[in-house]
Parts: sequence; C-alpha cells; structure tokens
Amino acid sequence: MAPPTPSHRPRKKRKTPTAPGSNNNLIIDIGDGKQSPAFPLVSFLWAARAGISQWLILPLTLMAVGLFRWAVSLWGYSGFQVPPMHGDFEAQRHWMEITTHLPMPKWYLYDLPYWGLDYPPLTAYHSWLLGKIGTAIEPAWFALDESRGFEHPDLKVYMRATVVVSEYLIYVPAVVNFLRRYTRMHGVHAWSASIALVAILLQPATILIDHGHFQYNTVMLGLMVASLDAIMAGRMLWACIFFVGALGFKQMALYYAPVMFAYLLGVCVFPQINIPRLINISLITAAAFALLFAPLLLGATTIEARKDFASAPEPPLLQSAPIALDKNSVAYAVLFQLTQTVHRIFPFARGLFEDKVANAWCAIHTFYKLHHFDTSLLQRASLCATLGSIIVPCGIIFRHPRASLLLPALSCVSWGFFLFSFQVHEKSVLLPLLPMTLSLAGDGGLSKENRAWVGWANILGSWTMFPLLKREELCMPYAVMTLLWAYLLGLPPLSLETYRSRSSPEDPSSHFELNIFAKLLHILFYIVMIAWHVGEAFVPPPPGKPDLWVVLNALIGAGGFGIAYLWCMWKLVTQCRQIDRRGAEEENRKKNQ
Amino acid sequence: MAELYPSLAQCAIVAGALKVLLFPAYKSTDFEVHRNWLAITNSLPVNEWYYEKTSEWTLDYPPFFAVFEWLMSQAAAYVDPAMLVVKNLGYDSWETIYFQRATVILTELVLVYALSLFIKSTPLANKSAAHIASLSILLSPGLFIIDHIHFQYNGFMYGILILSIVLARRQSKLLSGIVFAALLCFKHIYLYLSLAYFVYLLRVYCLDPKNFLRPRFFNTIKLGVCILGIFAIAFGPFVQWGQILQLKDRLFPFSRGLCHAYWAPNVWALYSFTDRALIPLAPRLGLTVHQEALNSVTRGLVGDSSFAILPEVTSQQTFVLTFLFQLVPLVKLWRKPDWDTFVGAITLCGYASFLFGWHVHEKAILLIIIPFSLIALKDRRYFSAFRPLAVAGHVSLFPLLFTSAEFPLKTVYTVFWLILFLFVFDRVAPVPERPRIFVFDRLSLLYLTIAIPLIVYCSLLHQLIFGFERLQFLPLMFMSSYSALGVLGSWIGFMVVYFTA
Repeated sequence: MAPPTPSHRPRKKRKTPTAPGSNNNLIIDIGDGKQSPAFPLVSFLWAARAGISQWLILPLTLMAVGLFRWAVSLWGYSGFQVPPMHGDFEAQRHWMEITTHLPMPKWYLYDLPYWGLDYPPLTAYHSWLLGKIGTAIEPAWFALDESRGFEHPDLKVYMRATVVVSEYLIYVPAVVNFLRRYTRMHGVHAWSASIALVAILLQPATILIDHGHFQYNTVMLGLMVASLDAIMAGRMLWACIFFVGALGFKQMALYYAPVMFAYLLGVCVFPQINIPRLINISLITAAAFALLFAPLLLGATTIEARKDFASAPEPPLLQSAPIALDKNSVAYAVLFQLTQTVHRIFPFARGLFEDKVANAWCAIHTFYKLHHFDTSLLQRASLCATLGSIIVPCGIIFRHPRASLLLPALSCVSWGFFLFSFQVHEKSVLLPLLPMTLSLAGDGGLSKENRAWVGWANILGSWTMFPLLKREELCMPYAVMTLLWAYLLGLPPLSLETYRSRSSPEDPSSHFELNIFAKLLHILFYIVMIAWHVGEAFVPPPPGKPDLWVVLNALIGAGGFGIAYLWCMWKLVTQCRQIDRRGAEEENRKKNQ
Repeated sequence: MAELYPSLAQCAIVAGALKVLLFPAYKSTDFEVHRNWLAITNSLPVNEWYYEKTSEWTLDYPPFFAVFEWLMSQAAAYVDPAMLVVKNLGYDSWETIYFQRATVILTELVLVYALSLFIKSTPLANKSAAHIASLSILLSPGLFIIDHIHFQYNGFMYGILILSIVLARRQSKLLSGIVFAALLCFKHIYLYLSLAYFVYLLRVYCLDPKNFLRPRFFNTIKLGVCILGIFAIAFGPFVQWGQILQLKDRLFPFSRGLCHAYWAPNVWALYSFTDRALIPLAPRLGLTVHQEALNSVTRGLVGDSSFAILPEVTSQQTFVLTFLFQLVPLVKLWRKPDWDTFVGAITLCGYASFLFGWHVHEKAILLIIIPFSLIALKDRRYFSAFRPLAVAGHVSLFPLLFTSAEFPLKTVYTVFWLILFLFVFDRVAPVPERPRIFVFDRLSLLYLTIAIPLIVYCSLLHQLIFGFERLQFLPLMFMSSYSALGVLGSWIGFMVVYFTA
C-alpha cells in the first residue's frame, strides 16, 4: 500500500487484522499451501474474501435470505381454518380491522374477549397503518365485524408481505448497521462480518415464528438492535428513543429493560458521576413515552370518548388508585385510557404460565403441582426468582458500563426472565436468542467455541417450539430451516466439525475450542433432541399422559436454557475480566512511558 | 489449483432446501398432467397407454418418459394409492404434492452429476470458469421457475442432454450418440438439436476427421446399430401392436396454432407485434384489415392469434425457415468439427427452432440457454452475446407464474441470479483473441436497463392505469416483444461470434 501523501489528512482506514479469517478461524490450511473453508457458510462467501464491494454482497445476501423468508411464508399460519378464535394471524388482522374502523379511545375497549388489543400503542399505530393500506387494496379484508375469520389467499399474501416489509424496513437495516459498527469495534474483518450477517439473518427461530407462525417480532427486535447500535455509536439519547420504541411495540422487550437501565445508569455514574447526562437520559425517555402515548391520550379528551369511558367499567388500576375523580372530567378520561392500556398490556390476572413452556415453573410443576399455592404467593416467588437471576449481570453492567459487555448481559438477563418470570410464551425464546446470535459477529464469534454454543442454543430454541409449529403444520419449514442453518454453520446433527479439535495445544487458537465437558453436554443434548423427534413421531403417548412428549420437550428445553443462562453469565464475567485486565495493562504501559 | 467453493454439492443442498420450501407454491396444470401419467402408466397395460383419454391431458411424451412415470408410480403406490387412479382428475392431496415435488428435486441429481462430469472434463486452465458455468446452470431461474414452481422434469432432461454433450467431449462419441438417442425417446423436443448431433457424429465418428472422403465403416455400423436399437426398444412394441400412427398423432399435434397460449419471445411475436401496430395505420396505408382477427389478437391470452394485416404463416413455412437457419451453423461444424463448435452449433440449432418454430413454448428457451451456458465463458465476446439472452430468456418466463404469492419468488430469484452470475461471468470471462467487432456492448447495456422499468410497468403500473380488465394483452405483448428483441439480438451476435471464432 502506498504511503498517504502528507498534503491531506489520510482517510480513516478500518483496522484490518492480517488475514481475512484470522480472528475467527474461518480458513483452514490443509497443507500444500491449500486452504479450505471451515464450514459451508464460509464457502458460499469464499469468493468474497477480498476485493468485492459490499454494494454487491449486501443486496445479494438480503435477496437470498428474503427468498427463504417468502418461501416459509407460503406454508400455513397460526389458526388457519380453526374457528372460532383462529390464531395470531387473526389477532393481527383483527387489530388492523378495529384500529382502522374505530376511534382511538375504543381501541383498548372494543369486544375484548375476541382478540382485544393487548399490545402497546406502537403496535396499534402499526396495525392502523397496515389496515389503511390494506383497505385501499381490498376493503373486505378489514371490514368491521364482517371480516372476522376472513381467509383468502390474497389476504394471506398481503399480511405476509407486511411482515417482510416491516422486517426489511426495521430489523434488517438495524442489524446491518449494528454489525458494521460492532465488527469495527472488535477489529473483525468485513468478510467475517458478512458471514455473520447471513448467519444472523437466517436464524431459524425468528423466521419460523414471524413468517411461519405469523407475528411481527422482528419490528420489536429491530428497534432493540437499533438501540444497541446507537449505544455503540455513543448516542445514548437515540438509544433511549429506540428502546422506548421497542417497548412500545411489544411489552416483551421488558426482558431487556433491566440491562438497558443498568447500563444507562452506569454510564452516568462511572467512571465519574455525570448528572447532566442522567437528566438528559431521563428527560428524553420520559418524552419518548409521552410521545408514544400522546395520540391515544389526546384522543381520550374528546367528548364522545369521555362519555364512553364514563359508562365503561373502571380498569382495576384506576379502581385501586387513591384518588376519586369526576367521571366526565378530562383528567378521568386520560387516566382511564392510560390505566386501561396498561391493564390490557400486562395481564397480571392470568396464571403463572399458560401452555407448556420450557421454563423453570413449568418444569417444577411437572414434578410438584404448583396450583396448590396462592396466585399472589406464586407471583411473589416468580418476582424474587427473576430478580435473583438478573441481579448479578445487571450489577456487572452497572459497575462496568461497556458496550461490548452488553450482548452477553442482555442474553443472560433475558434467559433469566424466560426461565423465571410470569406468563412466558414459548415464542419469548427469541429474546435471549437475539443477543446470543448477534455475538457471532464479535471477536472470535465464529470460532468453534462460540459457534457451537450459539448454534446449540438456537437449535434447542427452535426445537422447543416444535410442538407449537406442529399444530400449525409447519413441520416441514421447521425441519428445513433448522437443518439448513445447522448445515451452513457446520453444526450437529449434520456435522461434528465444531467438536473435533484440529489444533495442537501450542496453537494460539486453541483457546477457541470447546472443553471436553461442553462437548459431551452438547452432543448429549443433540442425541436427546433426535431421540425425542423419533419418539414423538412413532411412539403414541400412554393414555393417561396425552401430553407426555410436549412435557418432555419442555423439561429438556428448560434444562438446556438453564445451561445457556449459566454459559452467558460465565461469558459475561470472563469478558469483563478480560477488559479489566487489558485496561490495567494499558494503564501500566502509559505509566512506564 | 485450489478447490473451488462453493462446490456443486453445497449449492445443490442449499438450493434443495429452498425448493423443498416451495412445495405449497402454485403449480400449473402440468402437475395434474404428470399425476395423470403416473395413473395411466400404473393402472393400464402398455398397449393402452397412448389410447387412454379420460383426462384431457393425454400421454404425449415418447415411451421412455412413460416408463419413467411407471417407475415412479411404483414408489407412489406406497405414498398415496389414490393418486394412481385414472378417474381421480385434479387429485392433489398433500402426499401427492410431496411425492411429485420430491421426484423433481431427486431426479435433478442427474443434472448435478452431469455438471460435475462437465467440470471434470474441462482442462485445468478453464476449470474455474466451467465450475461457475455449472453453478449457473444448477441454480438457473429457468429450472427454478419451470420445474420447482410451475412443475416439470426439465432438470432431469437437461441433465441427460449435458451428459451426452460431455460424453462427446471425451473419447466416447458412441456413448454420446446413444445417450442422445435415449433422450429423444424421453422428450421429443430435443429433435430440434438432432441435426447438430447428426453432423458432428457423422463427421468425427463415421468419417475420418482428417479426410471426410474416407468413411469408417465399423464405427458407422456400431453407431447405427446402437441408435436403431434404442429406438427399437422404445417404439418397437408399439410398431408391433400397430399403434405407431396413434403415437405420431399424440407426439406431434399439428392442429395447434403458430403462437402458443402466451407469446413466446420469437420472431412470430415480433411479427404479431408489427401486425398489431399496423392496425391503426392500415387505413392510411390502404391495407385491408381482417375484421375477425381483431378480436382474437386483443384477447391475446388464450388461443392462437391470427393476423389482421400481415399474411398468415403456415407450418410448412416455419419448418423451412427453421431448417435453413439450422443448416447455416452446421456448415461450419462440418468444416471444423471440434467440441466447442459442436456446442455452438447445438446452441444455434436451439436458437433457430425457438425463433422460427411452429407453436413454440416459452419454456423452450432453456434449449438455448443451457447449452450456451457451457461455452458462454469462452471469452468476452461469447459472454456479451449471452448477456441479453440471459435477461430476455428468463424475464420471458415470468408470465408462466401469474399468482401474487409467487411474484416475489420469481422476480427476486431471477434478479438475484442475474446480478450474481452476470457479475461473476464478467469477472472471469477472458479477453478475446480477436477484438470485439460490433457495438454490441453498448446496445446490450441499453437493453438491460430497459428491463427494469418494463417489469415495473408490466407487473404494477399497467394494472394501476388500466385496471385488471382492460388491455390485458398489452403487458404480455410488451414483454414478449422486448424479450424477442433480446433473443434475436443475442442470436445475431452469437452468429457473428460463432463464424469469426
């Protein structure tokens, strides 16, 4: 490379490690100066090792992963031809129907037993927009009350297209930007980042739930990734806004909230206390929430809305409030709207868990029936257990508010929530899986060790959703997407590559290899998963226990997720130590100079 | 030389995953056609196969294909016996779909095998180009759209064709001839390419390559006996039963019109377009307009089109034209019978029959694209003739799929393939020995850029402006005229390259 001429400031060059795959062991030397890719995904991007523009690789990647999404969406969806309630597809369609036809104050009140709106306002606005566009195309899709249970191939295409478009407008740009910044931060080669991008965008669980089962999780996840991206860029205020957006789209983003809170508080306290920053962050967060609710609350102040509210039953939160207001006043209307929304979003009245979910409560319930206990006791127990599981990672991130620690902290805390909190859905597993999968882009992210663990957690995650997917006739997409991902990343059941050690002990890359216990553990889990599939397919459950296979699935899943939680915790602690050590070394060097 | 990545097998696996996901996609009547053939061959004795007509989709492929269906029907009996009942018209249970779609994917392995032989047969210096060309055939949007969504077994058929072409490159001309004869007994569309085979095998196998006045009798007898043997196996029984005329009627239905249901992008599409464009001008030019043809052309969608102003075209005329334009490249093949010229001659025979043939189906574009892909990377001149063909040929397949759910699949997949392979081809195609002699590059660039607004207009804007009902022949006509220009242009370009090489 020619030295830069001194007349102008040299362009800021990305720091590149010596060779394209060096810090991720993507290229294996097979002797005679020949090289081979470490796993199939690397060979698909083999030609992109050097000298190919991102302007070519990125569109091609996005088109390829888009094809798989659309192909999955050709299959069945939740609640297809299952009257009277149908499923999530109908719920989303119904929300588009009510938001486009009813005035805002009725959104959270209208015929609640039939898929009453129970997501935060951003989902409602999103539904309104999609409903408006859809109505312009074909009014019958979203006709008020008339369209309940409407099923038509064109409607399916429209709804599927809205998921893909929402994802490509929010999740995909967020992930692409995040990866660009994150890999630069870690000094990872752009080629390795492209490989990680494909792996992340083909993550089977997310595709199966959003494009198969039918939901808009990627919007919430995308806003979360955008928030992380803003943190990496040092724009804390944008991070707050995006995170409030994620929360405002789906309350499940609360799983991430403790870490975000601890981190944002941490950056205001360490290394020195920074009060203006704290004030800024809290103000902007409050403003974002205000903006989120503003249309709803403004809508509540009209005369018709006040009349409606005065005659409607009071939301429980308002009942327990110590103040008494005139039922026709504006303040009452605003409070009513707010509390009703919150009441709808957080269903405290429901039980500890609904279906069979691979978390701790369901696992305990299998052996020791929990419904002997009082609901409030269980709630308190769940709260304590959740707090107990997240206190350590939150403490670490508060004391060491470093952007590079966020991913393990987020996955650790969301595993804690998934395992111990209240009212968990099997689909919530997407939340801990996201930060874990994003870590593929980090330094050593595609090394055998990280790939094996992240891959194992992801495959286990899709596997625990199999009973749900099977009900919706999504077995084939499940099998194809999961096996394809496993194949591309060189994971079992299609390859044992990550578990074979190639390097000698003196090889510097050997610390990226798994230790023997992890290998045995993973292989054991893979064998159990395969055995479960065989059993589930060919052995009918005994008459007394019709749910045998589903319960077994949840039990094994809960065990695996517990291990994933511990691994993320260990990862967080070691990374924190490494950073501390590196920081100390640098200090020393400076002192010596 | 390092190994090449991604390998054929890796691509086949990932593409296979996508194809499996397409099981529930739209399927044309060809799905029912093949189901019906499974039923016919499974439940009837052989001498009734070509007489059965419960379904309108009677058996109209040669006997080997019928035997192939019979073989598959043996497995189908275990999957869902109901699909093997001749009376079950339009039967498409999930088992049937899984079974039939899976057979398409599995029989495509023949193509993978043939392509791997092709790479092996290529000299070391050109191996990576051959590898890339093979990947482009394996991942071809043509096969993707026609086989895996629309439903046919082209992957299998073209696998056999490539196998035969590759065998002709190695020292096994006899085997190549046998495989091609067998292919003709699978699907008779390949008769269009048979003249090139005839000339090539005659020249290099039956005559002395150095002196064509010295025939090699033993070779001639070997080849003749083998090929006649293949045909005897296929058609002998039917001759024995006196059914050969019935077979002829089934295989060559001449009652069909000049243009197929849609407008295949050939010379006749341009001819209809001119005819159509002349209608408003006719009074001024003093031409007579055939009133009954007007309605037929505007319908455009189904049925044969007849012409309002230009003279009618008869099937004899199309055959004479096809034959003449096939002879032209064969002269060169006779004089210079090497493998590259042979593949070029096959491609040009495909061009001639596609451009001038009677009742040409747009699916027949593969007859040009696939042999051409094998030599498109010879140098940049070949590639620049290939480029408009790749765009026009694949875009012209779009009307095959008209359902909204498949729209993103066909467009995104085709655009993906075009960007990827045109870029890669551009990088690896070597600089030609002779300078390029026409302004083909500029023209083809212009041509490529028109594709984007045209697709947008035809798939979106037209419906917005005119609605779904009015003038629905217009986008089809634009598309096919545009594609016809591309195919015609690339034909002329390739002719020049072929004769100057």
